[in-house]
Amino acid sequence: MKGVPMNQKLKAEVLSVLQQVKASDVVYWMHCDRSKDGKGFASTYLILTSVALHIVSSTEGQITQKIFKGIQRTPKETPRTTTYQFVESILLHSIEKISIVNLVASGLVVIHEQEERAIGAFTNGEMARAAKLASFVTKLKNQEEIRQDEIEDHSEQASCPKCGMIYPEEGRQICPKCMKKHAIFGRLLSIAGGYKRLIVLIVLFMLLNSASGLVIPYLQGTVLFDQALNNTGAFAGQIGLVIVLILAFRTISLGFGVVFSMLNAKLAANVAFDLKASVFESMQRLSLNFFQKKQTGQLMTRVNNDATELQYFFVDGISFFIVNAMNIIGITTVMLIMDWKLTLICFIPIPIVILLMRWVFPKLWRLSWRRHRRVSIMNALISDSIRGTRVVKAFGKERQESERFQRANHNFSDAEQSFNLMGSTIFPILNMLTQIGGILIWAFGGWKVMSGEISFGQIMTFVSYIYMLYGPIQFMNNIVNWWSYCMTAAQRIFEIQDAVPEVAEQPDAIHLERMKGEIHVSNMTFGYEPNKPVLQNVTFRAKPGQMIGVVGHSGAGKSTLVNLISRLYDVTDGEIRIDGHNVRSLSISSMRSQIGIVSQEVYVFMGTIAENIAYADPDCTMEDIIHAAKIANAHDFITKLPDGYDTIVGTGGHNLSGGEKQRISIARAVLHNPRILILDEATASLDTETELQIQEALESLVEGRTTIAIAHRLSTLRNADYLLVMDSGKVVEEGTHEQLFARGGMYAGMVKKHDEALKMREVV
Amino acid sequence: MQSIADERTDLSVAAQLNYLTAQNAVFRKTDGNMLAVQVGDEDFQGVYLHCSFPHTNRRIYISVRTGEHKEVGIIKALDEDFPPETAVLLEEQMDIRYFAPVITKVISIKEEFGYSYWNTETSAGHCQFTVRSGSGNVKSVTENKLLVIDVDGNRFVIENVKQLSEKEYRMVEMCI
Repeated sequence: MKGVPMNQKLKAEVLSVLQQVKASDVVYWMHCDRSKDGKGFASTYLILTSVALHIVSSTEGQITQKIFKGIQRTPKETPRTTTYQFVESILLHSIEKISIVNLVASGLVVIHEQEERAIGAFTNGEMARAAKLASFVTKLKNQEEIRQDEIEDHSEQASCPKCGMIYPEEGRQICPKCMKKHAIFGRLLSIAGGYKRLIVLIVLFMLLNSASGLVIPYLQGTVLFDQALNNTGAFAGQIGLVIVLILAFRTISLGFGVVFSMLNAKLAANVAFDLKASVFESMQRLSLNFFQKKQTGQLMTRVNNDATELQYFFVDGISFFIVNAMNIIGITTVMLIMDWKLTLICFIPIPIVILLMRWVFPKLWRLSWRRHRRVSIMNALISDSIRGTRVVKAFGKERQESERFQRANHNFSDAEQSFNLMGSTIFPILNMLTQIGGILIWAFGGWKVMSGEISFGQIMTFVSYIYMLYGPIQFMNNIVNWWSYCMTAAQRIFEIQDAVPEVAEQPDAIHLERMKGEIHVSNMTFGYEPNKPVLQNVTFRAKPGQMIGVVGHSGAGKSTLVNLISRLYDVTDGEIRIDGHNVRSLSISSMRSQIGIVSQEVYVFMGTIAENIAYADPDCTMEDIIHAAKIANAHDFITKLPDGYDTIVGTGGHNLSGGEKQRISIARAVLHNPRILILDEATASLDTETELQIQEALESLVEGRTTIAIAHRLSTLRNADYLLVMDSGKVVEEGTHEQLFARGGMYAGMVKKHDEALKMREVV
Repeated sequence: MQSIADERTDLSVAAQLNYLTAQNAVFRKTDGNMLAVQVGDEDFQGVYLHCSFPHTNRRIYISVRTGEHKEVGIIKALDEDFPPETAVLLEEQMDIRYFAPVITKVISIKEEFGYSYWNTETSAGHCQFTVRSGSGNVKSVTENKLLVIDVDGNRFVIENVKQLSEKEYRMVEMCI
């Protein structure tokens, strides 16, 4: 969605308070929706022009009604009119500094003049704008240019063009309300289009199955009792023939049932396969950020459960809906034709049954939810306690653990009892009510038989039909729940399919066949969340073939830096250039094929060692694999394994040690043969001897390539041409080892500590 | 056992916490409505209060930190270590940091497509907000206290779920 310049959205009544300021003067503005005293909500606007920051506030002070993101104002509600008053204008040159203070779920805009003071407080939803406002104030003060695309906002306040509802989540341009009515169902049907033939066949056989089933009550009732046994009509006295006909129809019905089940099973498997494949494929397209925002479990649920849920839509949903609807219509029509008065009588209990279901089922659902929640808590506790057994035993807390479990067990037992109690009360009542339909037929029908209006066989037919009717009615009654489940699952699946990768390739992206490996990072700033920069103003240059070492304490932003160079994320401000091209303008494939990462987190996929090494280039020769393994110092341990390079590793396979996995991942990088190599704490978790072996492997790997190496252990960086020392997201020192050591700053301190630690180790 | 007990390091000595009391620290509100504290000879402008136990007890072990997150010291027990007027001042600062309207009445909760739409009366007025279902956005933080976090991360609190009416509890329970 195209963003709209911020100054067009500023309310006229707010701007009119500032008599000297025209709409075109406004550079940016933000709404501070909290009162500064922490007591409640307020409405204050901070309006930035090129010379001053103006503050306009509502005249009524505290605001007593607040609608947060995701809530749509109904058309009937007229927005309350608020009057505003001018508070003050602060000239930019008098502001020493502006900062956004992160509070718990809110923030403060603080300016530093002679003294610090808070000029506005806001809730979390305004955080991104507050961060921008602060950045623009700083830029204007420093007379830096503010680009139009920085001012325009592409996701904030994005709302559904149809109903105006604000999208509940940023970057997720999906309106749950409108999707419900149009998009999801249409899209689901379009997927169903792929299985049209199969669905038509299934529906056909289901209808044949029910049609042949519909004949049976008629044969068992009217034909058997009224004609064969009563010795009248077409089947007079032909009991044998009627029995054979009943058997024949039962068999035909069964046959159609079997065919329909077989087709259904085929459809189920196909649908599940296609859906899972499509979701998985869509996921692979997305940027790393998407995966880090969602928990792995949640993603697995999406691929599995949601696809299964949708499978029900195709398999049980569409076909059962059609058939059940046809059944209801068919049975009712037959009954009405036979005797409309009796039909209406036996429908008497149906509204009561439906009302009872409507009344009871939500209660039952709530109880079942409570039971589910409590069993989850209990299971979590069991797993927690078992996994932590060593700690439990070490602290001798077995009794405490048992008590903790007993409490959860007790809670679950209570919930289970209430659920069962309700279930066992309500279902017999429902059952009895359904039976009443039959009893009513016997009562009224019996009276009619006595008066000779209808025959005994007709009553038998009626009773059978009424029982056949309850199943489809129950299905229709549950259809709302089923519908909402399916739509939720579909929405989640479509969401993944529609998600736009945050790191997207430009349409005219440049493809570099062979990178020289020159990296230039200038004034780069990056944060995963607004106003929480992880990196600030980082600038450095790496010449082709150089090795740059990055050191710093944990959380200094080292790994983030290398993730940005390989464009797993996009920078917030500033730029990264490779061979003179901004990384945003390079094709993703040229980035991935020429930048290799060996990180501390090594991962081996399910498969053989050879497949794992050849991950980047599955078509490589066996010789290449062995060469790569040899360079990575992995060849020796691999050949020692009974199955050599064919050893199956990964989940369920051979267990490799950390060092072995690390060497395989280095071999993978060797084979990948990147022009730019990133070593992210590649040896941090290994013992000294393994580290030495891997060091050798790495040394042969870095030759002739631009390398960026992050290391805790400074000895790892002894070959680095240039070092960056990072602290709290900033480069605090840079230079060669000698220069930095001579400076006596943070690096020198780290080297000293490192040496002391080594000496300690020698003593130990 | 006796010898082991004797050798045990005193935790408070090991932790080296700098406790602030009325004797060693003077809090004041600056002209810019910010909190400042004078500890000995040092004056800290713009300090913030971080409660160690924001849900169970806000008034004990309050960490006083600068804007750069440096700890100036810890208030062990606000009501015991400081006079009431300072307690009021600090309480106001805690309200600013831990702003979370207390839900006094749940008017309705409508659940739809993975989100629940809450319509509530709170200590800060009438609030309507959206909560994403699942993923622990409605959670018990103490035995009876419930924390509700909306799609933007804004926080709302139900102080005591037991004091909700049965109808309110039924609606809330489905979101936990």
